[in-house]
Amino acid sequence: MIGTGNGSRPPAKQESRIELADGNLSPLTGTEELRLRVQQLSLREQIERNHFLLMRLNAANARLIQSLEQVDVFDAIAEIIANLIGSEEIAVFDYHPAEQNFSLAWSSGVEAEALQPFLRGAGMLGHAVELGLSQFRERQPETTLLPFEKNLTACVILKSSREIVGVVAIFGLLPQKSNLEWADFELLKFLETYGAVAIKFQRLQGKQVAP
Amino acid sequence: MSTKKILLVDDSCTARLVNRMIFSQKTNYVLISAVDGKEAVERAHREKPDLILMDIVMPRMTGLEACRALKKDKETEKIPVILLTTRGEEQYVQEGYASGCSDYLTKPVNDAELLDLLKAYLGE
Repeated sequence: MIGTGNGSRPPAKQESRIELADGNLSPLTGTEELRLRVQQLSLREQIERNHFLLMRLNAANARLIQSLEQVDVFDAIAEIIANLIGSEEIAVFDYHPAEQNFSLAWSSGVEAEALQPFLRGAGMLGHAVELGLSQFRERQPETTLLPFEKNLTACVILKSSREIVGVVAIFGLLPQKSNLEWADFELLKFLETYGAVAIKFQRLQGKQVAP
Repeated sequence: MSTKKILLVDDSCTARLVNRMIFSQKTNYVLISAVDGKEAVERAHREKPDLILMDIVMPRMTGLEACRALKKDKETEKIPVILLTTRGEEQYVQEGYASGCSDYLTKPVNDAELLDLLKAYLGE
C-alpha cells in the first residue's frame, strides 16, 4: 500500500492562536492570521535588508583595513564605490584648513585637468563642507554648481571626529544604475568616517617614511 | 549538502570579499578564487570548477580573453562562465556573449539575482 508510512492518519490542521494580555490563548480569525503573516514578511524583509547591508559594510571595512598595509587608500575607496555602489568616476579632494580651500588629491575615470581647486562654500562640494554634511544631487537639485560639478551625483565629506580631511566626489553612475539606493547612503556614511581615518593614517605613515 | 565548486575571478579585493560573504552565508558552494584571467585559466584547468564567475576588466588577461581561452580548450569548454562586471554598456554585453559566456551580470551585484542564476546552472 502506498500511504503515509506508518499507517496513521495525517495530523489535523493546527489552529493558529494568539496570546492574550492575560496569558490565555485565543484562536485567530482569518484577518488576524493574515495580519500576522504580513508582519512576519515585513520583519523578514527588514532582516534580509540588514543582512545585505552588513555584508557590504563588512567587505568595505575589510578592504579599508587592507589598504592601510598596502598604502592604497584611494584605490580602496574607488573599489568600494565601483563594486558596492556603482560608479567609476571618482575624485578625492584634500582640504587645506589654513587656506580654506580644496585641491585634487586623486581621481579615477574623470579628466583630472577639469578638477580645479575650489574654496570652502563654493559649489555643491564646497557647500557640503560648509554644512559639514554629505550632499546628494537628487536631494539638492537647486544648488549652484562649479563647472566640473555638472555630472556630480554625490559629495561625501571625509571627516574624522570634527576635523574635515577632504571630500569624495562621485560623478556619473554606471549605466545600469539609475540612482543611489538606501544601502548606498549607508555605505557612503561609513566612508565619511572610516575613509577619512584611513586617509589620515596613510598621511601619517607618509610623514614617518619621508626623510 | 552541495559540494559544487565555483571559481570566482576578480582583481578587486572588495568584490571577492563581498561575494565570499554571500556564498559562505547563503550557500554551501566551495569557493576558489583568482585575481586575473591568466590565473583563472590555470586554475580552471587544475581544479575543474563547476562554474566560473568572472569580472571583465582585469590586468594581464581580461575576462573576455580568458573566456575565449576556456571555451577553446576541450577540458574547460563545458564549464559555464558568468561574466560579472561593472561594464553594463550594450557593446560589452555583446562582446561578452561573443566570447562564449553563458550569462552576463552587472555590478553592483544583487544577491538574490546572483544566487538564483547559480542555482539555475548548478541545479541546486
